[in-house]
Amino acid sequence: METLQFDDLIAPADIREYPVSLTTTEANLTGSWKFSRPRQAKKTAPCRDACPLGVDIADWLHLLVRGERDAALHRLRAVNPLPASTGRVCPQFCRRACTRRDHDAAVRSGALERYIGDYGLGVPFPVPASATGWSVAVIGSGPAGLAAAASLAAAGVAVTVYEREAAPGGMLRCGIPAYRLPKEILAREIDNLVISLGIQLCCNVPVDDRMLAELLGEHAFVLAAPGLGGSPLPAGIGAGPGVYRGLELLRRLAAGEVLPGDRFAVIGGGNAAIDAARSLVRHGRQATIIYRRGIEEMPAYPEERREALEEGVEIRLGTIVAAARGVDGGRVELDLHEALRAADGTVSTGSFSDRLTVDGLVAAIGQKASWQPESHKRLLTAGDFHHGPASVAEALAGGRRAALEMLRRRGMAREPAVGPAEIAANPAALAVLAPQPGVDPPRVPHRERRNSFREVCGPLSAEEALQEAARCLRCGTCTACGLCWFFCPDQAVVIDQRGVEPVVRFDYDHCKGCGLCAASCPRGVIDMEEDS
Amino acid sequence: MTSQDPVTPARHVREMLLGSDAVAHGVRLCRPAVVSAYPITPQTHIIETLSEMVDRGELPAEFIKVESEMSAIAACLGAVSAGVRAFTATSSQGLAMMHEILHWVAGARLPLVMVNANRALGAPWNIWADQSDSLSQRDTGWLQLYGETAQEALDGVIIAYRVTEALRVPVMVMLDGFIGSHTMEPLFIPDPGLVDDYLPPYTPVDYLDPDNPLTLCAATAPDSFYELKKGHARAMERAFDVLDKTFAEFGDRFGRRYAAVETAGTDDAEILVLSTGALTGTVRVALDRLRRQGVPAGLLKLRLVRPFPRWQLRHLLTGRRRVIVLNRAVSYGAGGILTQELRAACCGMADAPAIHDVIVSLGGKEVYPETIEEIVVRADELSPDESVWRP
Ligand SMILES: Cc1cc2nc3c(=O)[nH]c(=O)nc-3n(C[C@H](O)[C@H](O)[C@H](O)COP(=O)(O)OP(=O)(O)OC[C@H]3O[C@@H](n4cnc5c(N)ncnc54)[C@H](O)[C@@H]3O)c2cc1C
Ligand code: SF4
Ligand code: SF4
Ligand code: SF4
Repeated sequence: METLQFDDLIAPADIREYPVSLTTTEANLTGSWKFSRPRQAKKTAPCRDACPLGVDIADWLHLLVRGERDAALHRLRAVNPLPASTGRVCPQFCRRACTRRDHDAAVRSGALERYIGDYGLGVPFPVPASATGWSVAVIGSGPAGLAAAASLAAAGVAVTVYEREAAPGGMLRCGIPAYRLPKEILAREIDNLVISLGIQLCCNVPVDDRMLAELLGEHAFVLAAPGLGGSPLPAGIGAGPGVYRGLELLRRLAAGEVLPGDRFAVIGGGNAAIDAARSLVRHGRQATIIYRRGIEEMPAYPEERREALEEGVEIRLGTIVAAARGVDGGRVELDLHEALRAADGTVSTGSFSDRLTVDGLVAAIGQKASWQPESHKRLLTAGDFHHGPASVAEALAGGRRAALEMLRRRGMAREPAVGPAEIAANPAALAVLAPQPGVDPPRVPHRERRNSFREVCGPLSAEEALQEAARCLRCGTCTACGLCWFFCPDQAVVIDQRGVEPVVRFDYDHCKGCGLCAASCPRGVIDMEEDS
Repeated sequence: MTSQDPVTPARHVREMLLGSDAVAHGVRLCRPAVVSAYPITPQTHIIETLSEMVDRGELPAEFIKVESEMSAIAACLGAVSAGVRAFTATSSQGLAMMHEILHWVAGARLPLVMVNANRALGAPWNIWADQSDSLSQRDTGWLQLYGETAQEALDGVIIAYRVTEALRVPVMVMLDGFIGSHTMEPLFIPDPGLVDDYLPPYTPVDYLDPDNPLTLCAATAPDSFYELKKGHARAMERAFDVLDKTFAEFGDRFGRRYAAVETAGTDDAEILVLSTGALTGTVRVALDRLRRQGVPAGLLKLRLVRPFPRWQLRHLLTGRRRVIVLNRAVSYGAGGILTQELRAACCGMADAPAIHDVIVSLGGKEVYPETIEEIVVRADELSPDESVWRP
């Protein structure tokens, strides 16, 4: 081949026959081109942020995966003293926020909580701190009262809990039916808590204003967590034979009482309405729920709604019971009207649509406080009584918050356990991870659920629990997974694993600020910030 | 036949296999670390067999599944940039889709081997043998090796790795769609140890390595660009020599001797027929019959199209009356692609023979020995200035 000489332009030694740099390109500080730079920081997982209690799910699951089951249990119970119960009844605010949700399936944190909670039924709480010398009285042994008692007792405060009913638990015992939370599990969980933390529990003691004054005299603080009372009857419906209030009905059915009649109508759209209908079905009755709005607007948890429909509960939507009359044979005749919806969402009674005759009518339309004590600066409140009807987790959180407030006021300042302010979420990065949907815990088939208060949802086996726990990404915490390293086109990511927790460092001399590391981190711990 | 039985007692297994399986065995023996490909008829069997070999652990390679041929070749580009042996196979539209990256692999001077099962390009839709796919990629800077039999494809893959690693020019090994890929043939599958001796593990130079960061294919100023391209052209010139030596060493070790241009019955022939690929088998039958009828015509079997073996061909054409070029690909408006290549090679040659451009088949149109016989017998009537299309 003939070739013209360009030696004056390029010395042949300065060039290879193929396009490659002749020396390392490290000297080329490509980092000077960047407009933004990555920064890694520990953050709070979205599940933790969503949990009213702020449970650090990733943390205790990680202990479980590492085989430290007791440590996992204690870490969880320090924040949530009733995991066997919440693991069954909590609507799992955490799961709805889980980063895996749209990728394969949200981590089954409830089932896992139940798994560790059941294990914990036989494991005492850690020995409380040495006695502080002061005491607190708690009114009500629902989740709010028990959570406060647990936090205080663990800190060495002498706690006495007064409960009006014959047994502790509040709505966990009187409201939520056994097919969702077996009474025996609840009793064992509370016993373990009360006994191992040395809490004084006095049942059958209704506290009134006079007794409250005495308690304020004897104790450093009093916490009122009496929950809410029964539901009122709706307008147009008077008390009479065959007319029941939701909570009262639940209590009587749970006690095994046989109510007359076959066909029942339940007014309401909350958990109490659904639980009443499902309990009736279990007594061999037909139940129709009548609700004013649409199915999506029902305050009851979607899971419950679905199970109720499976079990044969009928739901009539957009319908109002305008009037109810007692008729022959102790039956109740209902006038059903269409619900009219105004532009602002309010609902009013429209025209007549149907007449329904039932053997029983159940009103489950919300709860009201039955007691209003006079305020006092050493009287704190928590739970449903404090914030209105909510959930077990919120009541637990409120009780715990009240306890921490008392400790703070007594100079035993303890910062409530919250994570860093920033929330870690980067679900898009999960695209590179193979889906691992895991398995749902077993459920009793719906045909077998009728006529039985047997628990609907079964447990995870130990093996399934470990597999499920291992699905948790640990959002907000770097796990040295290496994805950022893999995707960085400039080899500018250095994962340093010498410390207790891995740290990602960046070679800012070569990082061009492309942001691929941040985009690829499934735990959302890398952010891009402006580079000056 | 040039695929003779072994002259030296080479270690091998003899088996009846499909052409595509033959290729897969050739690839397995070369131990690539990465295989990435996308299925396309009639190549699919090759990568299917390879994926099964990877699955069974017979080929310890990373099999990268991709969503297109473009990604397959890009994955191979990444693999060879990182300094490992890689393989891909494709055909027809798949090869066309790879076009941009074909330039990039060659321009980067990276060693890569691919097998292309020659098939027509649409439209209209057609899946049969045709060389339009690979010949329309002849300017991408790849070395192109065509084969008559599945054995040549199998051996060609092994030879190709030696050549590509020596020259840093990627190699495309061709096998006819269906005729080559989907028919069975008794094959010699060489002993792995023998191949390991012939083709030692790949030792890369100048590859992507985080511990010694280099830039491959950075933006290049005009003068350097020109120099790099000059280098590529030089490498193509060196290829003749490298290929000769590699063929020779292969012949010594495995007993099958190959060349860039192979011949049969040319000594006394005034007329030569130039053919490529599986068509050559038909040409052999036709030329035998003609010889028996007293028409001595010789065969030029072209195995190497890039670089084009112009000096060797000029030498072989010296003193002949005419050469008939059988094309399976057309550059519309300019005639058969191989004819143009040959004409360019003979340009300026004193006493060049008449070069007849015959478009013998496209899209798998059947070619019978009689077709060839008739063309040779009636060659006198054909004008060398016109392309000849069959009725
Ligand atoms: C039918 C039903 C189903 C529900 N299902 C769920 C569910 O699935 N998941 C969920 O998260 N939440 C559910 N909830 C809500 C949840 O149960 C409550 O939000 C929660 O129990 C409130 O806890 P608390 O401690 O504030 O009050 P409660 O649980 O109501 O406890 C208050 C306790 O105080 C006692 N008490 C009241 N007055 C006095 C007094 N004067 N002296 C002494 N003791 C007194 C009561 O007897 C009671 O034991 C449900 C509620 C109902 C009614
Ligand atoms: S208490 Fe509820 S929201 Fe919190 S971690 Fe447990 S299941 Fe999730
Ligand atoms: S993956 Fe784990 S840490 Fe992340 S949101 Fe889900 S449960 Fe929480
Ligand atoms: S991608 Fe993995 S290694 Fe990188 S910061 Fe996120 S968790 Fe850590």
